[in-house]
Amino acid sequence: MGAREVPSLTVTSERQSAPAMRLARSGFRDPERAERLLDSEVFAQVHAEMGDHLASALGSCADPDLGLMQLTRLIESGSDPDRRRWVREWAADPDALARLLDIMGLSVALGDFLIRHSEVRTVVIDSEGLTRTPTPEGMRTALLHSVGGDPHDEAPTATLAEDAAMDALRIRYRELLLGVAVRDVTGMASVDIVAEWLSDLADSALEAALAIARSANPHHAASTRLAIIGMGKCGARELNYISDVDVIFVAAAPEGVEESDAVTSATVLAKAVMRICSTATAEGGLWEVDAGLRPEGKQGALVRTLESHLAYYGRWAKTWEFQALLKARFSAGDRALGDAYVDAVSPLIWSAADRDGFVVEVQAMRRRVEENVPAALAEREIKLGPGGLRDIEFSVQLLQLVHGRSDVMLRRPATLSSLEALATWGYVARSDSSSLADAYRFLRTLEHRLQLRHLRRTHVLPEDEDELRVIARSLGFRSDPIAELMAEWRRHAREARRLHEKLFYRPLLQAVARLDAGEARLSLQAAEERMAALGYANPSGALAHLTALTTGVSRRATIQRTLLPVLLGWFADGPDPDAGLLGFRQVSDDLGATPWYLRLLRDESIVAERMAHILSSSRYATDLLLRAPASVQMLAADEELTPRSLESLTIEVDAIATRHDTPEAIVSAIRAMRRKELFRLAVGEILGTTGSADVGRGLTDVATASIDGALRAAWQSVAGDGVHHARIAVIAMGRFGGSELGFASDADVMFVYEVLPDADETEAGKQAFAVANELRALLMTASTDPALEIDADLRPEGKSGPLVRSLDSYQTYYARWSSPWEAQALLRARAVAGDPDLGARFIAMIDPLRYPIEGLAPDALREMRRVKARMESERLPRGADPRLHMKLGPGGLSDVEWVAQLLQLQHAHHIPDLQDTSTLSVLDAAVTHSLLSVQDAATLRSSWLLATSIRNAVMLARGRPSDMVPTDPREAMAVGFILGRGARAGTEMREEYLRVSRRARQVMERVFYGE
Amino acid sequence: MDKQSEFVLRTIEERDIRFVRLWFTDVLGTLKSVAIAPAELEGAFAEGIGFDGSAIEGFARVYESDMIARPDPSTFSILPWRTEGPGVARLFCDILLPDGSPSYADPRHVLKRSLAKAADLGFTFYTHPEVEFYLFKGMPELGASPVPVDHYGYFDNAPHGIGHDFRRQAITLLEAMGISVEFSHHEGGPGQQEIDLRYADALTTADNLMTFRLVVQEVALEQGLFASFMPKPFRDHPGNGLHTHLSLFEGDRNAFFEPGAEYQLSKIARSFIAGLLVHAPEITAITNQWVNSYKRLAGGAEAPAWICWGHNNRSALIRVPMYKPSKGNSTRIEYRAMDSATNPYLAFAVLLAAGMKGIEESYELPPGSEDDVWALTASERRALGMEPLPASLDQAIALTEKSELVAETLGEHVFDFFLRNKRADWEDYRRQVTPWELERYLPSL
Repeated sequence: MGAREVPSLTVTSERQSAPAMRLARSGFRDPERAERLLDSEVFAQVHAEMGDHLASALGSCADPDLGLMQLTRLIESGSDPDRRRWVREWAADPDALARLLDIMGLSVALGDFLIRHSEVRTVVIDSEGLTRTPTPEGMRTALLHSVGGDPHDEAPTATLAEDAAMDALRIRYRELLLGVAVRDVTGMASVDIVAEWLSDLADSALEAALAIARSANPHHAASTRLAIIGMGKCGARELNYISDVDVIFVAAAPEGVEESDAVTSATVLAKAVMRICSTATAEGGLWEVDAGLRPEGKQGALVRTLESHLAYYGRWAKTWEFQALLKARFSAGDRALGDAYVDAVSPLIWSAADRDGFVVEVQAMRRRVEENVPAALAEREIKLGPGGLRDIEFSVQLLQLVHGRSDVMLRRPATLSSLEALATWGYVARSDSSSLADAYRFLRTLEHRLQLRHLRRTHVLPEDEDELRVIARSLGFRSDPIAELMAEWRRHAREARRLHEKLFYRPLLQAVARLDAGEARLSLQAAEERMAALGYANPSGALAHLTALTTGVSRRATIQRTLLPVLLGWFADGPDPDAGLLGFRQVSDDLGATPWYLRLLRDESIVAERMAHILSSSRYATDLLLRAPASVQMLAADEELTPRSLESLTIEVDAIATRHDTPEAIVSAIRAMRRKELFRLAVGEILGTTGSADVGRGLTDVATASIDGALRAAWQSVAGDGVHHARIAVIAMGRFGGSELGFASDADVMFVYEVLPDADETEAGKQAFAVANELRALLMTASTDPALEIDADLRPEGKSGPLVRSLDSYQTYYARWSSPWEAQALLRARAVAGDPDLGARFIAMIDPLRYPIEGLAPDALREMRRVKARMESERLPRGADPRLHMKLGPGGLSDVEWVAQLLQLQHAHHIPDLQDTSTLSVLDAAVTHSLLSVQDAATLRSSWLLATSIRNAVMLARGRPSDMVPTDPREAMAVGFILGRGARAGTEMREEYLRVSRRARQVMERVFYGE
Repeated sequence: MDKQSEFVLRTIEERDIRFVRLWFTDVLGTLKSVAIAPAELEGAFAEGIGFDGSAIEGFARVYESDMIARPDPSTFSILPWRTEGPGVARLFCDILLPDGSPSYADPRHVLKRSLAKAADLGFTFYTHPEVEFYLFKGMPELGASPVPVDHYGYFDNAPHGIGHDFRRQAITLLEAMGISVEFSHHEGGPGQQEIDLRYADALTTADNLMTFRLVVQEVALEQGLFASFMPKPFRDHPGNGLHTHLSLFEGDRNAFFEPGAEYQLSKIARSFIAGLLVHAPEITAITNQWVNSYKRLAGGAEAPAWICWGHNNRSALIRVPMYKPSKGNSTRIEYRAMDSATNPYLAFAVLLAAGMKGIEESYELPPGSEDDVWALTASERRALGMEPLPASLDQAIALTEKSELVAETLGEHVFDFFLRNKRADWEDYRRQVTPWELERYLPSL
């Protein structure tokens, strides 16, 4: 079937007539239909009198198909004499027809309105009238007349019946709106002027609606004074074509009326005004009147007296309410009262920045503004999201609140004029202000065109390509409308997205750097106010750092001046902005003179961003970085952040040992290597590029290589070039043995030696002890590089036993004295350094002990359970909430590890897969061999992993270890930030830990205690 | 600042209120109160009143013992029974941590979280409780049997009955506090009363129930009586149930109502019931939280012990009341297990969570039961697939301990505390030697 249809389609297009092709070229989507319409009787007279004018007018409108269709409907709607008169009008002034088509070929809604009320076409036709600027007074007079009210009356009252008045108001309002739209689309007025007119028109409509309300409620009208205060966009005189009109109602009692009666009457009128504006009649509705910005919002009284408003703002209002009051302006009703209201509230606005909690509230508001737009809309959304209209408006208002207190010049309602004022008085750089203003104008124009199309409230570009093309054409993009529009939008979006940098941070540098003598700049006091508002706890300290970083003409100062605006924003996003800035200053002081450092920061923006992230969140990493700032180079490339393999570390250790002569020099080089690797791992964890398990393995490899190197140095220190009496192996135990080290872990080890053939036994013992002791000293003495704690307490007899034993001595000990507890500890034993053959023999020696052939005898099992139970009640620190103790609490690390170790003791002899030192590998093997269900293993694993990563994050954030899930809000937030969690991380993280550990505990009780 | 705060402050001035009681509820459902001077209330609205949470059952560990009670101005009410002398007003509080975030230990917050979760799906949860309690002639001596005020029965209209006067006085006070009473009558047991509150959103109902229990006890004291909500004070008389009607609304529309469906029950209602049935065993420790609660469930008659539902079946756990034509918005279901001594915040939260789970997972509703469940034989019940509710607090705790649903709904903190507390209660009870044992065993063994 399909095959037969294809050729017939081709034929149609081939048959396209020459006129149709011309029509297609001038923008028609359906040239055939256009041709048919133009050839119809309707247009005979137009063609006759106007020749080509019609075609060119159609070609220049945004949607020629729509324009032609609507024009056809308009002509058809008229009687014969009408038509003749209209065509004569158009013939007399072909521009008039072009304007008519500009409107009808863009706005479906206004086109329909023109067809329904053909008499209003004069607004479009009358070219002289269009040159007269619409005035507020003119609009007010026109709309009051439409309802039969007297504009000179102090309280105009409608004389038309309510229904008739509402219809009349709607028709007259749209007629005036049409006048604004014509001036807009034909380019006679800029977007800010259009927005002012739309606001004035809304004021007048409110006035007329109030006149209708008065006539319907004469008694109430007589017993109150009511002022309508414009808020939001209406108040700022930057209204859209279609948007809710935000208002606040204020009432006062006239002479001889009780105040409460006056408020009651005013409430009746206010409700009527809202209804009169929003009700849909045969002529549709105007818009919603939204009184939600009033005190107490929707729950509050609709109308209040001025005193009641002031009492509320004095006591209860939140920061955002003051921000809203920035826009308050008398709109309609009793002007004296309205002006009194505005005069009384404006001083209140400017104290908002002094309020407790201002910074916190502002940051919450900022987050809300930037909150992610759903991905599906992000590509087409012009209002929400970073750099959108709302972001620009909010940022400008924030600066007004912060600086407007001390500078009256900033106290303006509209976004564009505020931006202008901020630039004029030095709060924002002139060039930044003008590029943002351009972006804002562009976005607003786009929004206006979108809304004009159907007179609907929208701020999302249409998905439909045809619709998008119409919008693009209406903005004057003609050759490839969609592509041109998108390119232009992207260009502005690029500017707007760097909004915070430009508005908030760059001017701070101007304040301290004393450049551009000609331009006004932020005062130091204003800069401090701003720093505080952005979340810096110690603004004067921060400014001192800024000054130090940016003063002077050196290349370094110059580059830092360009970098810092961005960095300051990134610091402010972290949990501790002050620490971020301080850290940056310290790194820069150290590296500023090295040529690559600034180049790196300037050219690799990822380095700067990562550095800001780390410095403002992790004391541990900051500390490592400050010990050797050159590590910052690592941040440039992702592959640099991958943990290095043990092989490559060992090669480096080999090289170090060959290169240096003295033991001290070797160990010092090794410890420097370790510091660098710790930084690499810390950064990987903070940025989320390295997983928890990989961090554990990486830390273990670093410890292994360090001990390997230190052992060589220790030998050299003890024996020099002399005789060795023994060989030594280092056995890793505990988390070190399990390849699960954390940032806060010590390295648990045991030392084993063997007397060399022909050597003296006593000498050998002494030498081995000296080497082990030296190794610990070399790694643990204080130096600029962090120490690696070597903990040998798991050795036989613990602290009271000898530090080193011979293989035979271990064998004797384990054969005679060993407790089940020691066999369990040996499950994690792994030879990591020293003589490999000796290490292997040690492991072979302990295998029968830790993987007993008969499994776990009933009394041994009982003993193990009893020990665990006693540990649970005794080992926990006093006063700590056991459930939050990640190591020993229920469901914590120890619970999970004991489950794994129990399964090993029971089954590892027969199941070699279980012969593994890593907890997670043992759990996996247990699942493979059906000793544990998949679900149980997953539960244990997730608790173990969460505890491990919180413990690491605590260490990274504070630089000090803790086994408790943090409860202090600040600390919890910092830890949550490192774990990449959201703003309310603290409570949620604790809740999640309690949940997963509770589940793990249930599994543990079942598997370990056999319940 | 919250809505109404200003109104509250003004009223306090105008009505000469000298004491403001801030109320909140501990994890076990006991009303707690702290009195402040009116002058402090303004600060309390803004920042709350600090107190030591570690002293309150289930509130806090030592490390976070600093807690803040912040009054909710929408709950403002003047206490009508303290007529003589200066006035007293009360407000319910939300419990906050020092950083201003809500405390996970606050039962009111538990319910609010549950409600917010349902609200995310577009639902509002309404409840309508029927509260039963006993009136006694004064508080009995320890060990003595309490003496009921009368010996009338169900719906008896006793001329000059003490219960009658009592109910009238209690209802007057409740109405004065803005708590509407729908219905009241003498219940089945001697001295037993029932008062039904008007349906309202679950948070308001829970607040109202807390107020209700206090008002009833206050009125009883005033009249020289003693009122008790103990679930089962007498072996041979009915216990104090808290039959509660539940419904979900989507905006103004009752989401349980579907014209033309069986019993006019929508798919949402059917899934909601199914959710309650599936999760009934694990939430019972919350809805019936005392050792004594299980004596009521064992007592037969109107107390359900088996998990099933039925149309207008008063022996089922869930009853679907008779549908009244033209009252689509009153479509609801009645959960009959709860008793009057529950913590309403936690109970409503788990009921809602169980029902919502049914909706989210589209549980299938099993067939309803028309039989008197108590009259069935054990095999018949087995054949019909009727599982019993837990028979003791011990059993109930064991089921709850394994419940993800309850843990998630209560939050880890309340979940942990509640279970530990109940476990301790049970352990204490196990050691008791009861009069029944002495009577039965001492002479013969």
